[in-house]
Amino acid sequence: MLVVKNLHASVAGKEILKGIDLRVKPGEVHAIMGPNGSGKSTLASVLAGSEKFTVTQGEVTFLGRDLLTLPIEDRARMGLFLGFQYPVEIPGVTMANFMKIAVNEHRKYRGEEPLTAGEFLRLMREKSAIVELDPKLTSRAVNEGFSGGEKKKNEIFQMAMLQPKLAILDETDSGLDIDALRIVATGVTRLHTADNATVVITHYQRLLDYIVPDYVHVLYKGRIIYSGDKSLALKLEKEGYDWLINDYREEER
Amino acid sequence: MANDTKNIIEEIESGEYKYGFSSKIETETIARGLSEEVVRLISQKKGEPEWLLESRLKAYRHWLKMPLPQWAHLDIPDIDFQDIIYYAAPKTRKKLASMDEVDPELKRTFDKLGIPLEEQMALSGVAVDAVMDSVSVKTTFRETLAEKGIIFCSISEAVKEYPELVRKYLGSVVPYTDNFYAALNAAVFSDGSFCYIPKGVRCPMELSTYFRINAEGTGQFERTLIVADEGSYVSYLEGCTAPRRDENQLHAAVVEIVVERDAEVKYSTVQNWYPGDKEGRGGIYNFVTKRGLCRENARLSWTQVETGSAITWKYPSCVLLGDNSSGEFYSVAMTNNFQQADTGTKMIHLGRNTRSRIVSKGISAGRSQNAYRGLVKVSRNADNARNYSQCDSLLIGDKCGAHTFPVIDCHNPSAVLEHEATTSKISEDQLFYCNQRGLSTEEAVGLIVNGYAREVLSKLPMEFAVEAQKLLSISLEGSVG
Amino acid sequence: MTVDGLITAAAAVPLPSDGRLTGGVYVWNGGDRELTVPEGARASLLLLHAEEHKAEIGIEIGRGAELSVVELFTSAADAVLHLTQDEASLCRMTALVLSSARVHHTIDLVQRDARFDLGGAFVLSGDDRADWKIDVNHRSSDCSSRSVVKGVASGSAYGRFGGLVYVAPDAQRTDSQQTSRNVTIGRDARVETAPQLEIYADDVKCSHGATVGQIDGEAIMYMRQRGLTETQARRLQIEGFVGDAVMHSAVESVAEPLARIVAEKLETI
Repeated sequence: MLVVKNLHASVAGKEILKGIDLRVKPGEVHAIMGPNGSGKSTLASVLAGSEKFTVTQGEVTFLGRDLLTLPIEDRARMGLFLGFQYPVEIPGVTMANFMKIAVNEHRKYRGEEPLTAGEFLRLMREKSAIVELDPKLTSRAVNEGFSGGEKKKNEIFQMAMLQPKLAILDETDSGLDIDALRIVATGVTRLHTADNATVVITHYQRLLDYIVPDYVHVLYKGRIIYSGDKSLALKLEKEGYDWLINDYREEER
Repeated sequence: MANDTKNIIEEIESGEYKYGFSSKIETETIARGLSEEVVRLISQKKGEPEWLLESRLKAYRHWLKMPLPQWAHLDIPDIDFQDIIYYAAPKTRKKLASMDEVDPELKRTFDKLGIPLEEQMALSGVAVDAVMDSVSVKTTFRETLAEKGIIFCSISEAVKEYPELVRKYLGSVVPYTDNFYAALNAAVFSDGSFCYIPKGVRCPMELSTYFRINAEGTGQFERTLIVADEGSYVSYLEGCTAPRRDENQLHAAVVEIVVERDAEVKYSTVQNWYPGDKEGRGGIYNFVTKRGLCRENARLSWTQVETGSAITWKYPSCVLLGDNSSGEFYSVAMTNNFQQADTGTKMIHLGRNTRSRIVSKGISAGRSQNAYRGLVKVSRNADNARNYSQCDSLLIGDKCGAHTFPVIDCHNPSAVLEHEATTSKISEDQLFYCNQRGLSTEEAVGLIVNGYAREVLSKLPMEFAVEAQKLLSISLEGSVG
Repeated sequence: MTVDGLITAAAAVPLPSDGRLTGGVYVWNGGDRELTVPEGARASLLLLHAEEHKAEIGIEIGRGAELSVVELFTSAADAVLHLTQDEASLCRMTALVLSSARVHHTIDLVQRDARFDLGGAFVLSGDDRADWKIDVNHRSSDCSSRSVVKGVASGSAYGRFGGLVYVAPDAQRTDSQQTSRNVTIGRDARVETAPQLEIYADDVKCSHGATVGQIDGEAIMYMRQRGLTETQARRLQIEGFVGDAVMHSAVESVAEPLARIVAEKLETI
């Protein structure tokens, strides 16, 4: 579904990603872990098409198409969803209005008719239940005045609305209390099927208690230095990154 | 109290001192009033080249056609421009034999300001040379600068020694057509400072007018020209925190700064001219035009602490001509009794990716009026311009006024400009809290005001900042019951 | 753009000949007028400038009276509105300038506890020229005022906003807020804003803010990530930007037709 080969990317002349290789198949859950500043969020942004970063080398195919040449919105419509680490506030634009346009753009891309107002409202109600999102929030401006937890729930709600093929969740667990974490994580798990895939970017094992990964990758200084199964996350939780980083340093020499 | 001090200084300076008078020094003045003849006479007395006389005359002729600016939020008494003496040769400072002859009140103010003894003597007119080898200080200072190729001298001297530099830059940032007072200054300027930092040179010390040779007696129409050549850096200090009395009521100075590519200039001012007495009599009218021109990647930062003068009319500005250039303006303006201030800045964004920042803190007490006036202008081609302005007013007492007159004029869609303003007063709760912890009300007000102004004070060079803090407290004396 | 929909939606009636607004919704039909809202009355007023004209309107709002005003400019007009508010009166106002116009609002809060609340916007396109001045004079103590004006200029339009909050000596405990937020779209558009404060009393809470900015790039990126085109994202954002004033229209019944008129204007951007 997603094939990343030797991806290099930089911002303001500084190279952040230094050759990423990653392969995600339908039905899989991948976790990307790593210390601060290792390039995790950059990877997510680059895949989504953020214009802040420049891809200097490498290739990415998504569902067989060259992802890097596509504009942000086409990547989204193809089914690539980015759950933002810091969801953006859009004053004056209601969630309902925003989502209606988004859903119908996705449908148009797939050659489907737009939803009627009634259908759309039903869909909203149904999906907001998945993350226990207060339906009242959908009449408020996008993310404006939302609490940290509400913002993250709102991301998963939008994911449910748009039903992506590949969801990249950038630190969706940060800033959440235990209850919100459970709700968000359960929501993600419920949305998971054999046809779609999830890439979870996180610092902590605790999210992976709910969203059980098939693969765990460690990103360090812009490269994936180690990959393993879910037991790797447990080991990292217990022992930290030092042992890996030290090994890596030795290799570098 | 501070005003009494200033009256004392006035007495000290105005009385013809019987010991220090030297007949050799020129005391010659010309007749009152302004005419082409007077302009020619000034130029002739200063032995200026033809081109400078021409430029003075052009300015004079233009000035005649200009109306007096009326837009400021100031109540300016009619000034009779024909009743001013436009040329007076530098006068002798009246020398006192020792510090004992200085009035104790004045000494107290100096002590409060923490001004070193030598400096106190210099400022109060004690014959410094007798107690301290100031000449050698100045000489060492000059030698260090000369090694680096830095020129720092009076503008008259510069006209003689470096005519090509002066001719190239004088009037290039503030042309005589700019405004009424700039035209007047261009016609009759007496003297001032000239400073040139060569390419790539970092000036190793703060350049202070206090140390400049011939710094005294620059008169009421001061002209300053600072040129920071490519990639150079200088921090320039104007004025000093000690009270200053001058018999000329009208001051119309011009400061021009040229910041060439990759250069940086920090210009700090502490202005403490005589503000008039408690009833609003007397005091200096200070009408200053200050402007800097920034080329590519250049940076110019204005920092001012304005506590003096009866009327202040002053807008240190930045013309951000070069791409990626930036301008800053940090100001504390305090007015007390019947003082009036209308001060602020203009940030003119012309180049791409230009940045500016304005932090203005007004403090009004007594029956004073204090206005911030600012312009942020983004021209059509100034892509990605950024400005942030913060203008705060603090009112002490209910008889004063605090005003904010910003204008944002944006001609480019990629600009991001923000202006915020707040008005506050010192609350009873704050005073009570401080009193309860043992501070006097005066101390508490000083403390609160300094806290309020901290963001600006912190931009001043260290030694200056400490003095400026004390100055704020002293200027407020008597403003709270 | 037709404004008849507003009159119908609000079931507005023409102004009475004596100029006394005693209750209900009125619609002004042009010309210079002196109006009063008697003590304790509650009334609404539509000021619709749909044709080129000059007009001066004076309104006195009596003690404890409430007036809601919706003013709409869809045609080049030169209008002066002078409100005088008595003790504990309230004026809520929505003002939308969607065409070239010269507008001067003067609000005099002459007795204590008067309140003035304005939400407004100008949306300019083509070669529209709008100059909008709002003077709020706090002449008595304990009054409050709030004005929020959003500006959008596109094409080669030029919008100018001049706000002044004046606080007279002894107008203690004034609470005043003034906000001017603007967006320019395109190379030839220009916005000038001058939010001013003139304060002669010390126990006051006065603040103002002004911004000129571009459309938030992060938000555009966010919306595109959810599948919107850049154009959609931009339009949505501008709609949201000026939408506040419409959504909280001082006369609730006209919010919907007002929104339609604004949307129509936004199409021209």
